[in-house]
Amino acid sequence: MSTTTVTGALVKPARLRWLSSRAFARFLTAATPTLYVLLLLVGPIVLIGLYSFGLMSNIPGVHGSFSTSNWSDFLTGAGNPFRSRFFTSMLITLVVSCAAVLGAYPLAYFLAFVARRHRYTILLAVMAPFFTSYLLRVIAWQVMLNNDGVINSLLWQLHLRANGHAITWLIYSKFSVGLVLFYAWVPFVALPIFVVLDNLDPRLIDAAHDLGAGRFSTFLRVTLPLSLPGVVAGFVFVLIPTTGEFIAPLLVGGPSSQMFGNSIQAFFSDTPDWNYGSVLAIALVVVVIVLLALFGRFVSPDLAAPEEAAA
Amino acid sequence: MTGVGRLGRALLSSYFGLLVVFLYAPLVVLLVFAFNAGTIPTLPIKSFSTHWFSRAFQDTELTSALLRSLLIALVNGLAATLLGVAAAVSLARERLPLRGVVVTMILLPLVVPYIVLAVGLVVLLHEFGIATSLAAVLAGHVVISLPYSVLVILPRLRTLDPSVAEAARDLGASDFKAFLYVTLPLLAPALLSSFLIAFTISFDEFAIASFLAPPGSPTYPVFLYAGARTPALLPEVIAVGSIVIVVSIAVVIAADVFRRWAERRIEALPEATPLVG
Repeated sequence: MSTTTVTGALVKPARLRWLSSRAFARFLTAATPTLYVLLLLVGPIVLIGLYSFGLMSNIPGVHGSFSTSNWSDFLTGAGNPFRSRFFTSMLITLVVSCAAVLGAYPLAYFLAFVARRHRYTILLAVMAPFFTSYLLRVIAWQVMLNNDGVINSLLWQLHLRANGHAITWLIYSKFSVGLVLFYAWVPFVALPIFVVLDNLDPRLIDAAHDLGAGRFSTFLRVTLPLSLPGVVAGFVFVLIPTTGEFIAPLLVGGPSSQMFGNSIQAFFSDTPDWNYGSVLAIALVVVVIVLLALFGRFVSPDLAAPEEAAA
Repeated sequence: MTGVGRLGRALLSSYFGLLVVFLYAPLVVLLVFAFNAGTIPTLPIKSFSTHWFSRAFQDTELTSALLRSLLIALVNGLAATLLGVAAAVSLARERLPLRGVVVTMILLPLVVPYIVLAVGLVVLLHEFGIATSLAAVLAGHVVISLPYSVLVILPRLRTLDPSVAEAARDLGASDFKAFLYVTLPLLAPALLSSFLIAFTISFDEFAIASFLAPPGSPTYPVFLYAGARTPALLPEVIAVGSIVIVVSIAVVIAADVFRRWAERRIEALPEATPLVG
């Protein structure tokens, strides 16, 4: 038996060696999750992009050809209903985001500076509703706000309103959609603000007091500016997901308080026009990209390499 | 001297009290109306009864929707955690080629609106000629759970002392065995958090499921949505919903108590059994 066969049997072919190598294992661990998202999230967005320019069609027998007519109709068509809904929807989103931040700030402040000892337990108690089903919470609000719901019937029982006369704007209005979204986001927005306030160096506040600033001016000139990163993070945490909201308007919204997400949903279910619906979906993606370009640096989580983070 | 005076303390405390009432009122209302004997949730409640609970659990459409969602959530919890561990291990490495691409892909599901992902998956399935299915719902849920899983596991992975796994390798363990027997047990609290978060995301998810769950086999949220719009079904929806709310709040509290306990124990370990002289 010659030595060559022995070495040939001992040393695996190059390809097999690669498959069992540490480098290949490392490649797999990084590539699997990356390719998964690439295939199931980026791929579909690219397809929607092609649909929005008419390059593909879901109608059997119809071959797509490049066309910008849907885009120009959405962007420049006179009195386009989806464009006006887009602006209404973004306004609702903006108002809800601002309201959620304003509502969450005193809560975060309370947790960080008043509830000092048990703050993590109280934080958990406040956050707990956030972890229950969103749909169930919207349904709960439906039960609260309905024309014969808890709030109206309570007012009747207390003789504060004539029996059977419901407050009309309580449900199926912009108010109800805004209220439910505010309700859903307040505890979540408190979190980043609380983290910033909780980590604030107390010596800075002491220093402001020692230098003669009152409590209120210390808040305005020291605490508030230092907590702004948390405020912006919370604001963006609401802003981005709410741009695509469609569940609350379906259950507690009326015809005038449907959001942009509802238009997208309708084009892919009730009245299918995938090409037009794709224009709206891509418009939403563009909005998110713009928001990330504006605010991304306030919310990007730290996933950098250890030595990059240290540098 | 603290930053809050007596008046500020009183104002903040009252605001906090009001907010807690606001946050819990709808949930309490749902819990109370689960026991309402009448069909319409309105005041005054004339009599209380538990018959909506028994009605709900006899409704096979409801119970099978619940089982579907529990199953998808369970598999999603495992799959997202598995992918999350793989991604976190890669990101924790000092050298990772194309790190920017990996980071972007992992975080991207956080910012893409679910409605866009949902219609995108509908288009993707259509292009490949695949019918909608519960597996497709699951595939979508893994996408949206992955970033949360990584954001829970990676910080924990970074706090681990790399010399512990090195010691295992020096003692002859392979890379894989060192990871399986040394690193993974130390990650257990983070893995549990990741599983629970992914489970919850999937169990509650409506947008993707409403597009991809095949007709006739809705997930629990899809059934809920239909039920909320059908007055005859609403009492059942409220009864089962109240159970889901109580269970999920109990799980959140239990998970937090366990996490604090487990992290304290694991942090106490190196002192108890010094591995490196």
